Amino acid sequence: MKSHVATEAAGGGIRWLGGGMSMLGLALMILLHWEVFFWVNTESTMGVVQRIFYVHVPAAWVGVYLAFGIVALCSAVYLWLGDERADMAAVAAAEGGMVFTTIVLLTGPLWGKIAWGTYWTWDPRLTSTLLLWFIYLGYFIVRGSTDNSERGRRFSAVVGIVGALDLPLIHLSVTWFRSLHPQPVVLKPEKPTLDPDMLMTLMTGLLAFTALFLGLIVFRYGLERSRWNLELRTRRTGAA
Amino acid sequence: MKLYLAQLWAVAWKDLMVECRSRERVGAMAGFTVLVGVLFNYAIDPTLVRPEDIASGLVWLTIVFAGTLGLGRTFELEAQDGAFQGVLMTPAPRDALFLGKVLSNYVILLVVVFIVLGVFGLFFSLDWGSSPATLVGALALGALGFVAVGTLFSAVSSGTAMGGALLPIILFPLLVPVVIYGTSATGQLLADRPFAEVDGQIRILGAFALVALAVGAVLFRYVVEE
Repeated sequence: MKSHVATEAAGGGIRWLGGGMSMLGLALMILLHWEVFFWVNTESTMGVVQRIFYVHVPAAWVGVYLAFGIVALCSAVYLWLGDERADMAAVAAAEGGMVFTTIVLLTGPLWGKIAWGTYWTWDPRLTSTLLLWFIYLGYFIVRGSTDNSERGRRFSAVVGIVGALDLPLIHLSVTWFRSLHPQPVVLKPEKPTLDPDMLMTLMTGLLAFTALFLGLIVFRYGLERSRWNLELRTRRTGAA
Repeated sequence: MKLYLAQLWAVAWKDLMVECRSRERVGAMAGFTVLVGVLFNYAIDPTLVRPEDIASGLVWLTIVFAGTLGLGRTFELEAQDGAFQGVLMTPAPRDALFLGKVLSNYVILLVVVFIVLGVFGLFFSLDWGSSPATLVGALALGALGFVAVGTLFSAVSSGTAMGGALLPIILFPLLVPVVIYGTSATGQLLADRPFAEVDGQIRILGAFALVALAVGAVLFRYVVEE
């Protein structure tokens, strides 16, 4: 009974935290779009397509670094301590991470077609992001294709940890591979020193995406926990 | 330490003995290799590309594909009739089990590596460069990293409903470093480049193998735990 009460209280916490974060994320997202479309200056060489940058970079920060970092860390904690909550956080972050990595992989080529002249090139960052997407995919396939959900959680944690350890090596190897080969004849922009307005817009984007992502994973975590409680309750009543 | 090695060896010896008697995996992998050689011959127009120029890529992809075929069956036999439960009940620690499995898979894969070299040398009249020993060393180091990651995820895939069909999806993204440094080192050795040029790549293959063995040995217990 006591655990039941504690669950209800925590459920309220999830609603407040998730709701607050999502609202903040949405408000910042509206501000970001206003900045991107009406306020920030158009970049002089790439033109209007450069505005994808304000969505692309924040999505990459969230999907590649933040989400995958949480997945790896929580997976390790789950295997080590066996705490279900760590697994719930890991799967919530993995789902969010896959969504944001998909955004990166969709917005990148749209920009690349105009700025580089091609949708896809074997640039190290593109290649690593694509492979990361496949690691996320493996994470979910492994999780979904076991008849025993506890085993699925362990397997996906192993995929998350090995993926996180291998990803820097993958990035190192694809970067090294590229340095061996001649650069393709598409334009690659020099790293521009960012104009203050552009920096401001980018910062809004980073904050908006981070807040929205955190809001989403808090809700997703809550959903996972409700599922877990339901499973426990069904098992208990089934046994009695 | 002595006991640990004995336990490791017992697992590897059992698997190799089974393989020697059934010749199931080596047979399938060898047949696969020869047939891939035949298919490559028709898929690649020798008047457009010289086989020597793409030999390193063909060799590595054949090793990876044939290896995945064999690795997928690492736990297949023991999955029947709950035989793996028996293996788990032995006092051998889980990491010794894992390393034993890696060892037996590695011996089998090395046989396949030599078959690949022989078949491709014969079919495409390739010359294996001036230092075939270094070439074999580079292939063997790359294969060790591949087997270590592959054995871990073979245990994962055999625990799922998808079985062997799942293995390539999880394994191939993780193998990118092995394939990149492996093909590059092999290509340079085939082109008779001096050892100093491939030294770095071979070291990275070695480092990958060591890390993969260590991580696999630690994580294996969570995969087979019941």
